Amino acid sequence: MSSRRSRSRQSGSSRITEEQISDLVSKLQDLLPEARLQSNARVPSARVLQETCNYIRSLHREVDDLSERLSELLATSDMSSAQEAIIRSLLM
Amino acid sequence: MAVKRTAPSPPTPRPNPNPNRRAPASGADAASPSKRMLAFHFIRALARIHRSTPVPRRTRTIRRAAYSSMARAANPRRVWSRALLQQMRARRATTRRAAVLRRSVSAAPATPPGGGARSIAGEDESTTTLAALARTAAAAAPHRQAGEPARADALRRLVPGGNEMEYSNLLEETADYVRCLRAQVQLMQGLVDLFSAGR
Repeated sequence: MSSRRSRSRQSGSSRITEEQISDLVSKLQDLLPEARLQSNARVPSARVLQETCNYIRSLHREVDDLSERLSELLATSDMSSAQEAIIRSLLM
Repeated sequence: MAVKRTAPSPPTPRPNPNPNRRAPASGADAASPSKRMLAFHFIRALARIHRSTPVPRRTRTIRRAAYSSMARAANPRRVWSRALLQQMRARRATTRRAAVLRRSVSAAPATPPGGGARSIAGEDESTTTLAALARTAAAAAPHRQAGEPARADALRRLVPGGNEMEYSNLLEETADYVRCLRAQVQLMQGLVDLFSAGR
């Protein structure tokens, strides 16, 4: 990863340059879904951090939501056909 | 929830049983955990839950299984994955101790000296554990570095183990954490579709 390479270049000094920080921030920006941020515009890092927090929170909520649905489905679904499909998908 | 999936590829018209196929085969996947490993850990946990966990507790157990299997499938050199596994273990230990304490207290109503001493010792033990956990949580209070934006505090709280990291590390770990979280959500969504379609 380029950020790791640039870290090793500063021997001994623990100061990270602004450029490296903004590079990392832009990587975060690329991870955000397009609905949250225009991916091509340069956005202030505070905005990127804010949107990342929101995104992480929404992902946590999705995990909660999906856990609940999975627990309902586990109780009621036909396990054999689902198991077969899962095994097939894992082997492919 | 309006947005179900954030995967750029559109859902296939026929029920595709392979959740792995939903993800685009782009270079971005090189850094995220193997989707197969993610699926392996999580599905194995799901099977165990299906066998042994009583229905009322399942949602919570499945949620915990999602996070711990995500952490297990991730690169163990990542701070967030180690911190997440530690959190899971600590939580299991406290609930187990709390359960033992409850059982010992309810089983010894008259509190004979021996039993009293035991339950007090048990209480001290569990209080010490809780106090120790609280102490580590307080000691790991977010320390803001010079030049770090205020938003980083919120990020530190969201990313497991975020309190101890340097700002640049925090940004890297966050990126990895987001990628893994997203993969986990995609996996769970794929499983939900699978189970719904199988009916």
